[in-house]
Parts: sequence; C-alpha cells; structure tokens
Amino acid sequence: MFKAVMMTGVALGAMLSVSGAALAADPLKIGVATDMSGTYASLGEEVMRATRFAIDEANAAGGVDGHKVEFKSYDTEAKPDVARRQVEKLVMEGYPVITGMIASGEGLAIAPLMQRWGSLYISVVNKADELTGANCAPRVFRVNTQSAMDAATVKPWLKERKEKKWAVVAIDIAWGRGSAELFSKAVKETGGNMVAELFPPANTNDFAPYIEQIKKAGAEGVWVVLAGRDAVNFAQQSKQFGLTDAITVAGVSFTTDGTVKTLGDSAKGVFGIINYSSTLDTPENKAFVKAWTDKYKVPPTNFEGEAYLGYQVLFQAVKDAKSVKTDDIVKALPGKTYDTIMGKLVLRAEDRQLLKPNYFGIVEAVNGELRPVVKTTVAAADVAPEVVCKTK
Amino acid sequence: MAIQLLNGIVYGGLLYLLAVGLVLIFGLREVVNFAHGALFMLGSYIGFTLAAAGHWWLGLLVSVVAMAAVGCLLDVLVFRSLRKHDHIVTVLITFGLLLILETVVTVTWGKAYLSYPVPKLLDGTVTIAGSPFPIYRLFIIVVSLLVAGGLAAWLRYTRMGLYVRAASTNAHVTSIQGIDVDRLSLVVVGLGTALAGLSGVVAGPLLTLSPTMGNYILIDSFIVVVIGGLGSFAGAFFAALLIGQIHNLGAIYLPWAATMLPFLLMIGILIWRPTGFAGSRT
Repeated sequence: MFKAVMMTGVALGAMLSVSGAALAADPLKIGVATDMSGTYASLGEEVMRATRFAIDEANAAGGVDGHKVEFKSYDTEAKPDVARRQVEKLVMEGYPVITGMIASGEGLAIAPLMQRWGSLYISVVNKADELTGANCAPRVFRVNTQSAMDAATVKPWLKERKEKKWAVVAIDIAWGRGSAELFSKAVKETGGNMVAELFPPANTNDFAPYIEQIKKAGAEGVWVVLAGRDAVNFAQQSKQFGLTDAITVAGVSFTTDGTVKTLGDSAKGVFGIINYSSTLDTPENKAFVKAWTDKYKVPPTNFEGEAYLGYQVLFQAVKDAKSVKTDDIVKALPGKTYDTIMGKLVLRAEDRQLLKPNYFGIVEAVNGELRPVVKTTVAAADVAPEVVCKTK
Repeated sequence: MAIQLLNGIVYGGLLYLLAVGLVLIFGLREVVNFAHGALFMLGSYIGFTLAAAGHWWLGLLVSVVAMAAVGCLLDVLVFRSLRKHDHIVTVLITFGLLLILETVVTVTWGKAYLSYPVPKLLDGTVTIAGSPFPIYRLFIIVVSLLVAGGLAAWLRYTRMGLYVRAASTNAHVTSIQGIDVDRLSLVVVGLGTALAGLSGVVAGPLLTLSPTMGNYILIDSFIVVVIGGLGSFAGAFFAALLIGQIHNLGAIYLPWAATMLPFLLMIGILIWRPTGFAGSRT
C-alpha cells in the first residue's frame, strides 16, 4: 500500500571485479518505476527480475561501453498519480533513464514531463497506442508491442473463426478501452458483431455480474483484456461458471506465462496474443533463455523477455552514443536497427516505436506442463502500426 | 435476474464474514482493526498450503484454529496492553501489523499470484433458472448464513453473549458490574480473527491469492461496518447484503458509476443517520 520500496545497486558485488579504468567512466543510472503492490504487482516483479538480470549481465561484462550500470526502483502501485511522483523522485535523485511502468495510464502521465525533466522514458509494458501515437512526446520510446499491433495480429485469426457474436471484457483504463475498441473494429471488419462490451474497474473481486452478462448476451466468443490479478480472478470465476468450457475464450495479456502457471487447468484451451515467448527460435534468444534458466531455474516469461529487450536496446544506444547523458541517448536511440532476442529490429524514427513481429497461440500442455504455445507468427512489417505521431 | 440476486448474496455473504469480525473487535475494544484484511490474507495462505496438497477441509480447520490463536495473541499483546493509551495509538499499531504481515507472507509464500482449488465435494455447477451456477457459490451463502445464525443465537441466548452485548454498549459500566471485560475480549477478538481466517479460506477459490489481497476487500468491509452502524451485528448483516446487491446490480445497470455507488450510499447514510442503520447505541 503506502510502501516506497527501494532497492539500489543489487549488482554492486558483481562490479568489484571490473577494472579500475572502466569504473572511472560515469555510471548509467536507470530509474525503474513499477508496480510492486497494486493489481499488476506480479508483472512488476517480472520487470524487476529482468532488470536485475540485464544489469548484472552488463556489469559482469565490464559495464556498457565501460559505464557501470546502476538502478533504483520505486513502487507506483500501477496508479498514474503515484507514478508521476515516483518518477519525479527518481529523476531528482539522479536516475534519469526511466522504465518499468505497467499500466498505460502511468506512461501517459509521465510522458509529457520527460522533456521538462531532461529525462527519457522507455516503455516495456504500456500498450495504449496513444503513447507513441496521438499523445506521443519527445524523449519517449516503446520497445513492447502496442495495441494496434495486437489488433493487426488478431484479425487474420478472426477471419478463420466460425464465431460471429463476440463479447469483450476489458479493464477500465486506457489500455483496456483502446484494445476493446480495436478488437470491436476487427470483429466488424471480419463480418461479426459485438453483443456486449464490459469494462470492470481494476481490482474487481467478483466478476460474476460480468460473466452473467456475457452469457445473457448469447456471445459465442469473449475477448479478454485483463492482466495480473484481474486476469486470474476472471479466469478462475468464468471456469467455475462453466463459461470457459461453453464458449471460445481469447485475450491479450490474459493467459501469459505467469497467469497460466497460476491458473493451471482453468487456462487450458484459451487463445491469446503472445508478444514474446521463450521458445522463439533465434540464436540470441536461445542464448538468453539458457543464461536466464541457469540463473532462475525457469525460462523467462513474456514480460521478462520484453523488459530484457528494452535493456538490450538501451545499452546498444548508449554504446552508439558513447555517452550516458540523456540528450545523447535520446539522439542515438531512434532510427537504428538493434540486435535483440527477437532478431534484428528497427526503432522507427517517426514515432519511436520498436517494430517487431507478433504471435498468436493457445494454452496447451507441452511435456505435461501447460503454457501458451505459438501457433501463428506475423512479421514485423505486417503489424507495423500507422504513424500518427507528429512530434520528433 | 434470480442469478444476479444470488450473485449479490454471495458477495454480500463474503463481506459479512469479514465485516462481522471487525464489528466484534470494535464493539469490545473500540478500535478499528486495520490489520483485519491482512489477517484475512494470512488465513487464506495458511489454508492454501493444505488445500494445494489436497486437504481443503483440513486447511479450513487449521486456518480457523490458527487465526483464533493469532487473535488471542493480538488481544493480549496489542489491545490489552495499549488500552490505557489513546485509541489512535492502537489503530496505528494495527496498521503497522498490516505491513508486517504482508511482508511475512511475501517472504514465506512469495509475491506470485496463487490460485486456490475448489474442494472436490463442491466442484461443478447446478442449473438455476436455466443457467449453470457454481455449487461453490451456494456453499458461500450457506457458510455466511450459518455464521450469522450462530452468532445471533450466541449473543441472544447465552450468558457470555449477554456480556458481550453489554460490553459492546459500554465496556466501562460492564466491568463495574463485575464482568471481566479482558477475558471477554480475549474470546471475542479470538473469534473475530478466526472469522477472518474462515472468510480467507472461503473466499480463496474466488479470489487470487496475493499478499495484498486483503486491501481490496477490506475497503468494502469498512463500508459495510459504517453503513450497518459501528458495533452492530444485525446492522452489518443487512448492510453486507445491501452492498453485495449494489455491487452486482451496479455493474450491470450503472456500470459508469458502479465503483462510486457504495461510497455514495455510505455518505448518504452518514448524513441521514450518522450512527448507521442500526447504530442506536451511544
């Protein structure tokens, strides 16, 4: 609740081995503002794990271009007002490279302030299109998949499906509203129609009224835009009501590596967008998954993968810039191709969105263990969103 | 419609189980126990460990007994030893306890979300009004009715119940009459905390287990206690059912205002009757 959890320099020990010359360079200071106690606390935990992994790895290799990497993190509770306060604190305390926020509203709240504070923000989880679209701001970058890219991925799938009457359950925040709108559009364009659009608030305990309405509307399929605690609550309760077995269930950020582990059988057969999977077949990804598994004993989740990808992009930009000054990093970041765990990806200069492939799959058992399995891959060019952003 | 009303009763029943513990403790100690949500959470985790191993009912029993013991300790160590201090001191201590318990659970069970199994006996659905309805939800209604009935009988027909009612009205005068309010309080706080454990296990299969799960439901329980009238047992029962219905029907018919409705109702009640529904006591 009212905790300002703080962690600094977990990686200090690893750095003692670094040569004196490398330590002389200015450190790269990263401020991680993420949810540690709100509805997305488990996602925040995933972001923190990826942060520690990426920073430990970089420091063990002598830092990024000789700069050691330090970080500090604060709890945002997934609330935009708290996020704004915590990010300001991080910047004032000398950690101007900001990342880690979960809810889109948090990212949208701090984005316009980056210019004034002389800091920069790299989104690794925020999905609302506005962040790099209508509300785009200088010094704001996104390496994770935005909602428009998810919508472009779901459309070919919708075309193949028999279900024509769809319902949507989406969290009542910027991401949920935006994603629901894009999904409805995709349904209409593929010849279906929407029979119910429901927007429960964050931290809903009882989803029964929403489940009842989906049933009553006669939906043949439901699109779920819920994550974290809300996703687990909804999945559990809709299974108990027999909804999961009666109609087609699909979603985004709904059945992730994390929630499937929690849910077990309640998640079986649920379709969903997959933004990153530890099973992707690139040499970089295989090396990453191996190193990760050696350290944590389990493969990285989708959010851990995307957060790690954010650090890959940032570190390469720092190398290019040959500086840890935010002005130099901001100049170095856009318009370049980055070597990442998802292959060579371009950070588009016009809106500062990283263009990446997207995946669609289903939760099924692999070697006796349930997890989301990729069934369709859509190339980066096919899901690239339209450029709406006007500022450079 | 029948199903919707039933859903409202389920959520109301859960709120009642949690709120009545608050009412019991408030009645005797005149302290709002901020740690109640954390105790609910702790009870849920204790039950979960056994339920995950296939012993759901044993988990329920162990959780209730363990939380009763925790409640007795809480009464002796916190409420009794601090009773001469200003109430705000005790309230702040309970708030500190909330933070400690959250941390203890985070260290023991981790932060990852956990999913509670439904006991085999209560798995599945029955058809009500042409629609499948989970048997487990009916079980929640039964449990809350049993607790409400049991408590009402205990308070009305036993000597100890009489003392509790007396002490809830005025603890000072009651002790002048020769009743050991401290001993009474030990039982009542133990019972209230045991009910937090019970509701934690019963709510488990509906909710996601996380160290902060208590916070999300405690607010609703506070509203129930305020609307029902601080320290009123019957008031809490009817207020819980009302809030359950408002949650449910609000989400269907007034979705844009659903989160506000319980608060608006609370404000309205406080203006109309500052002591709550049944708050006739001074």
